[in-house]
Amino acid sequence: MKQRATLVGLLLAFASALTAQENSGTLVSRAIDHENAGRHAEAIATWRQAIAAGAVLPGVLGLERTYAMIGDEAALLPLLDSLVPRFPAEAQLRGVQLRTLVVAGRDAQARAAFAAWRDLRPLDVAPYRDFARVLLYNNRMATADSVLAEAIATLGSSRALLLESAQLRAATGKWREAAEAWRETMRDQAYFESAAVFSLQPAPLEVRDMIRQELSVADAPIGAAQALSFLELGWGAPRAGWRVLAELSKSDTTVAVWGAFAEEAERAQAWTAERDALVAMHGVRRDRAIAERGALAALRANDPETALTLARAARRPGETIARPEVLAAELEALARLGRGADAERALAVSGVSESVARGHARTIAWAWVRSGDVAKARAALANAPLDAEDAVAGWLALFEGELTVARRALRQGDAAAPQAVAALALLSRTSAQKSETVGRAFLQLVRADSVAAAATFERAATELSDAAPLLLAMAARVETSRGADARAVSLWTRVATDFASAPEAAEARLEWGRALRRRGDRRGAREQFEHLILTYPGSALVPQARRELDALPAGRAESSL
Amino acid sequence: MMFRLLRRVALLLVLCVSPLRAQFILLPMDDAQTNHLKAYGITFAALADGVRSEWLINYRGGSFLLPDLPGLRRSASLAGVSFEALDGATISDIRRTIADGNMDAVPLEKAPRIAVYAPPQSMPWDDAVTLALTYAGIPYTNIWDDVVLGTDLTQFDWIHLHHEDFTGQQHKLYLGFRDAPWYIQARERDLAMARRNGIQDIPTLKKTVADRLRGFVERGGFLFAMCGATETIELAIAAMGVDIAGAQTDGTAMDPDADSKMNWNRTFAIQSARLEQGGGVNAMSDIDGHQVNVPSRRQPLGTFTLFGFSAKFDPVATMLVQNHRAVLRDYYGVTTSFTRRTLKPSVTVLAHEEGAPWVKYIHGTYGQGSFTFLGGHDPEDPQHAIGAPPTDLALHPNSPGYRLILNNVLFPAAKKKPLKT
Repeated sequence: MKQRATLVGLLLAFASALTAQENSGTLVSRAIDHENAGRHAEAIATWRQAIAAGAVLPGVLGLERTYAMIGDEAALLPLLDSLVPRFPAEAQLRGVQLRTLVVAGRDAQARAAFAAWRDLRPLDVAPYRDFARVLLYNNRMATADSVLAEAIATLGSSRALLLESAQLRAATGKWREAAEAWRETMRDQAYFESAAVFSLQPAPLEVRDMIRQELSVADAPIGAAQALSFLELGWGAPRAGWRVLAELSKSDTTVAVWGAFAEEAERAQAWTAERDALVAMHGVRRDRAIAERGALAALRANDPETALTLARAARRPGETIARPEVLAAELEALARLGRGADAERALAVSGVSESVARGHARTIAWAWVRSGDVAKARAALANAPLDAEDAVAGWLALFEGELTVARRALRQGDAAAPQAVAALALLSRTSAQKSETVGRAFLQLVRADSVAAAATFERAATELSDAAPLLLAMAARVETSRGADARAVSLWTRVATDFASAPEAAEARLEWGRALRRRGDRRGAREQFEHLILTYPGSALVPQARRELDALPAGRAESSL
Repeated sequence: MMFRLLRRVALLLVLCVSPLRAQFILLPMDDAQTNHLKAYGITFAALADGVRSEWLINYRGGSFLLPDLPGLRRSASLAGVSFEALDGATISDIRRTIADGNMDAVPLEKAPRIAVYAPPQSMPWDDAVTLALTYAGIPYTNIWDDVVLGTDLTQFDWIHLHHEDFTGQQHKLYLGFRDAPWYIQARERDLAMARRNGIQDIPTLKKTVADRLRGFVERGGFLFAMCGATETIELAIAAMGVDIAGAQTDGTAMDPDADSKMNWNRTFAIQSARLEQGGGVNAMSDIDGHQVNVPSRRQPLGTFTLFGFSAKFDPVATMLVQNHRAVLRDYYGVTTSFTRRTLKPSVTVLAHEEGAPWVKYIHGTYGQGSFTFLGGHDPEDPQHAIGAPPTDLALHPNSPGYRLILNNVLFPAAKKKPLKT
């Protein structure tokens, strides 16, 4: 009887819709115009006319939007009370009814409406899914949980409700179950990866391993891998994020996923992860635009070798004039590698005008500075003089022993070099205006002549008494890095004993101890670490000394029966 | 006269400028302590050197009072352990506070001799007690089956068990790791050990070892067990003469009537547990409330709360729960917890999860000795998985979970006082 009534209602509505088709179309357009223009009262009146003219669903949805705009959602309920009995199997109408009742706080009526729909379609997942979603979006977690449990008990499977289960588990802190549900959801619907990331991102530190485990099981869909990589980015572990994707088998889908990851990594300023993704994409696609982006990412990641390879790959075959971005990336990479001659050659064959080439003079000079060729750096700058406070000028001044000029210029420091921190530390420590010995030591250092550099720093210590412990420490660091432990120990000993109150003294004790430990002198090493801890208890190196002590075999020997 | 005056002035000057040494140093164990774990090591080392100390239970998280000796100050500074120098007046104030409150000063007399029951070959999981002892600088002796079976265990005061499966089934790891080299090696090692001792299979070997350990406690030893060792030593002791191992382990199926043949009279803490009959189910019994390796039964981790005890009337239990935190984050192990239903009434519950049908940390006496069981594998690695790197305790110097382990190490050092009535 009920079914017959529904059928008759629908037929009547259909017949009425046919006769008023033109009219309802016009009314819908007009209602949308009112809605868009913020004329809510007019929009409501027109949507009601549209419903009367047969446009039932668009009308109800329009009214739902409009009433939500004016915060009067409950006003829709009387209309729904009359429409739902006429179209009881219409899922969208039922959905609007559930949303409106829950938003209006009429929980008992919502539950009754859900029960009526469920009883009408006992084997249909839609009533459960829609009601659970409405409850989830309105933070009614406990009720949503019971609806989902009821669905699983009634329908015998939770597969159709995976998305809702995932959201519910995450919202209630059941992270492992949430990750598992998201993984299964993405098996059929990969596009839910953003929703999964949004849902799982707030997981606390201690449960993240569980999430990683669930999203990376052997047969996990690619969406799960993508979601995990984005999660790692958000959790501050971009390299781990890339590792999740790196091993995926190469395909168009994989390249698309890598591309999305690269964009996300760029947004997160995770340059190395962005570089890795773009390098992998370029390996598959050989696309010049990807190569160019990769070169820039590699420069940001301070990886000039990769930047150079990609910048060269980004050139168009047979192009006579290099594209400005690609040329700039190539020159910058060569400069950072200290390959002045190659940089000059690349600029010469680039085909750019003389004025454009002049704009690259600083980069060329920087390339020569990085290889320690002062004369060629000066020559490169002949037609493009630098500002006195430019970092390149600062390095040239330092190499020439002009400490005052270097001090002023390097403080601005936009051309970072591995030796920049040491140079700045020295310049702020000494009040000397000139020192050719110091200049020569840095020059030897950039020319990778570490034996000479260490000796020259040691000699400079006798000239600049106000920075003597620092200069000795710099010599010792160079000796340590080239593995000359005996020389290093002799220098560290001087710092530790002759300059016991200097800032470098604690470092000297630590490195002295480490050198002794490497030599197998555990007792001597222990003495140095203990001396550091007891004499410089406020030093930032104390935790490292404690670590070293812990790593030394215990004084009280373990035994084994 | 003038000379005498000058001497007095000189003495006064010396007294004024030389650093005055206090009578005691206090290692506070509340949030003022920078390295709780190493504080136990400092106290232990002092005891080992014959320096008597006091454990001020319930006073500032269970602080230690040591004589103010230059060597102790030096050791504490080197280890990064905070200490406070106390003069006579302050000491008196502290003693008054202790006398007036639920606190006590327990004299610590002698460093206990510690043995850790661990296989000679390293396994792909860490052992929280070994980590704690090593980090705190507390010496211990490694023992294994041959020592347990062939030597006098009374040479030790304290024996620790961690991950061993005393039912001889290697925690049913054959379900997932039967082809792993370390699993095969461990099985061959145990078989060789059984044959050397004239025993036919691993379950019988491990049950014999379990019974020797039971005897150690009965004769006055302290036993501390964690993780799977807690549950399996109980099952092994109750199953003497009953086949509770599956066919994968000893070639014969588990006795179908094993449950009814278990003798719970000889066990430490557990009674009436039901054995897991399914060979493919990675659980031993219903003792563990969390069942982490059975997905359909696995319970989520919560927090557990340490009970407060009367320091003057129940000093042992009080010592075992000394901490700067009362509520701790839970952590899994092959045995994470102990269901209340299976506990003997004589057992003292030291920590439980509010509202849950399981407890985390239990203690009891057995014969002339005592035992403590702590569920879970690694207090700072809640999900610890096989193959995961060991926890670096330098990153957790204030770990409240690891403190529970070290409480157990130190409490055998306490001088037994007559109970106040």
